[in-house]
Amino acid sequence: MKNKSDEELVKLIVQNHRPALEELYDRYINLIYSFSLKMTKGDTEKTKEIVQLVFLRLWTTKRTYSASQGKFANWILTITRNIAIDLIRKEHKHKGTVQLDHDEWEKIQGQQSENVLQEVSSNLLKQQIQEAKHQLSEPQKRLINLLYWEGYSLSEIAKLEEKPLGTIKSRLNQTLKKLRNYFSEETGGVRHGK
Amino acid sequence: MENKCENLSLYIIDQLSEHEKEQFKRHLKTCAHCQNELESLQDTWQTLSYDMEEVDAPESLKMEVMDFIFKEDEKESPHNPIKLFLTKHFSPLSAGITAILIIGFAGLLWYNLHLKDTITALEEQMASPAQIVRTFNLKGQDIASSANGTAYLLQEGHDNSLIIELNNMPGIKDDEVYQVWLLNNGNRQNAGTIKPDQNGNGLITYRMPKDQSFDDIGITLEPNPNNTQPKGRKVMGTT
Repeated sequence: MKNKSDEELVKLIVQNHRPALEELYDRYINLIYSFSLKMTKGDTEKTKEIVQLVFLRLWTTKRTYSASQGKFANWILTITRNIAIDLIRKEHKHKGTVQLDHDEWEKIQGQQSENVLQEVSSNLLKQQIQEAKHQLSEPQKRLINLLYWEGYSLSEIAKLEEKPLGTIKSRLNQTLKKLRNYFSEETGGVRHGK
Repeated sequence: MENKCENLSLYIIDQLSEHEKEQFKRHLKTCAHCQNELESLQDTWQTLSYDMEEVDAPESLKMEVMDFIFKEDEKESPHNPIKLFLTKHFSPLSAGITAILIIGFAGLLWYNLHLKDTITALEEQMASPAQIVRTFNLKGQDIASSANGTAYLLQEGHDNSLIIELNNMPGIKDDEVYQVWLLNNGNRQNAGTIKPDQNGNGLITYRMPKDQSFDDIGITLEPNPNNTQPKGRKVMGTT
């Protein structure tokens, strides 16, 4: 198990091979746990629930991950985030405008494996993100926080910010580009186009 | 087209409706600008996930997660693979409908086969008309010396029957019957009883069992019906 690739482990899991699931757990639990803990703002009970659902989905899914879909860590974190958001959104009071549409499998297709993130440690990465965030304006920081970590939809954020939806959309565009440009300057790695 | 490009970031953060998503995917195929931007912006969005304090998960969590999955798993899957297959593929309603259809189909099949047999039998009968293969003359004796009759051995397909017609039979008392015997090498086989009408006429049809043969016909006057061997006097016989 130890010398199998993530991709091989996922294939074994599809064939109901329990040791493969346990090996993936050992490899990624700290990442998934830390991520979920942040999503739940430190709630260890909810974090446990999310982790259980992530591995249950891994176990029951019949769709395989392949390395061409991008880094496995990103793949599993996308799943984790969607599960966490589903959970968080159930607790949001204003359900009326909520649009639950998380098709993580589809979304992560087309991601490239040549990802610069593979070469930098997560600590370094974290530092870079912190620095990149310093470049953002307060509304941009708020947007990222509400959108990425709190699971609000753009229209909900528009209401919270009392701004037209169009403004929030263009704010998102600007924010993503600003971050992208900062990352690419720092690492010379996140590329523009092909 | 410019309008569609605006949806790029919404596509990346997965906040398009299904319909919008399909539209955007079509747009993406033809828009070089979006193709160029997609990958790097997607990477950027993903990078945000590393904005967290990395901590160690508690040791006890692994067992809780595995228990959750495998107990859940056992609960959900019946041990019998056939049952699993059936429950997977048939709701109770569709199972009920299927059962009714199967029963109905079996019934129709049985009816159809039965009908086929009947038709075959009828066809055989039609193909082979009844024909008289042998005729016997019967002559009365003793108290019935004035009586006479004719017996016809009739063949219909594979079946043989014997038709006996009697005339001028003397009248008989309440319990008495005329009984027909088929004689084969000295053995007598009961072939039915007759009570003649007021004019002394009688008719009997006897369906011959397969493989039964006989040489002569005898008729006795029996004091009571259903005797297996003659008890009364012989009153008629083949000439």
